[in-house]
Amino acid sequence: EDALLPAPQNISILSTNMKHFLTWTPVIVQGETVRYSVEFQGEYERVYANESWLPISECSLLTATLCDITEDISATVAYNLRVRAELGASRSPWGTLKGFFNRITTSLTPPVMKVIADGYHLLVELEDMGPAFQFRVLYWKKGQERRMQQQVVKEASSVVHLDTMEAGGDYCVKAQTYVEAINRSSSFSHTQCVRAQGDRSMWL
Amino acid sequence: TAGNKIFHFGACRVSMSMTEIRTGFTAIKANIQARDPIRTLSILSYPHSLHKVKSSDRCCITHHLFDFYVDKVFKHCKTEDSFVNRKVSSIANSFLSMKRKLGQCHEQNQCMCGQESAEKFQQILANYEGLNVTSAAMKSLGELDILLDWME
Repeated sequence: EDALLPAPQNISILSTNMKHFLTWTPVIVQGETVRYSVEFQGEYERVYANESWLPISECSLLTATLCDITEDISATVAYNLRVRAELGASRSPWGTLKGFFNRITTSLTPPVMKVIADGYHLLVELEDMGPAFQFRVLYWKKGQERRMQQQVVKEASSVVHLDTMEAGGDYCVKAQTYVEAINRSSSFSHTQCVRAQGDRSMWL
Repeated sequence: TAGNKIFHFGACRVSMSMTEIRTGFTAIKANIQARDPIRTLSILSYPHSLHKVKSSDRCCITHHLFDFYVDKVFKHCKTEDSFVNRKVSSIANSFLSMKRKLGQCHEQNQCMCGQESAEKFQQILANYEGLNVTSAAMKSLGELDILLDWME
């Protein structure tokens, strides 16, 4: 390795809703395009495979300073990650992420949700966040919070029918995500209320 | 669906994310099975299928098989193909995570080993050791869907 080329610094993980990215500050060499290569090491490699590292081909000779590692962080174990700079034949030392990364620490945001009153039918449309996500939807008639009902939605692929509403009643809905692989939930979305009104949706 | 399953092995309840393992395996199955020239032999199913194992022995045989794959198989499945290696890593790390969960049951004596599962596992080891290590490892990896199907 060439001592001229310093290792990338400020290596960190951006992880939201089970999408994980490795990022670092660029290595600046005047008038040159520096490239980067990223490798990962799972707990299995550390404990059972001589601490071997695996290259991420989509992040080999990369000019960007961001690498999507989601595909490779596919188990709930501790991962090591490292990146080095490359310029022609020169290679920097590896810069390694401080501490392990475990996807259990991903930040989970409340789901984007749209509540629809289709005549007397209370419907909810949920953002598709990928196969790892389920949704817990709570709904109630305004003023009857203690009779709150729940529905677990395993796939957000279509509009979900929650309830049949009484005419003129106000109905409220909120939702949170749940990721089984890490056994964690997001906080709840803002509550949205609608009123059944014949065939017109009425936002409150 | 998200694909996490709650496996009930007697008193032992273990949540496992099978979808990610199946996705990883499906992506490399053809490649791995193409590396296995010995089609007439099976590691997991010879002479008897896993389906013959009594339900009371399921936890123990599952625990042994996870140990078998983590300790013996995956490390000998390195290939010249970076994509395959990454998927093997994905499966291996998932197995490690699940092996740990099963180990907790084992420690709480909820994963008892009967004679039948001990014999079945010994047979699997004999099948494995009857081949050279790389062939045995590739064949075992290629048979992963047999294990996954049996578990589900």
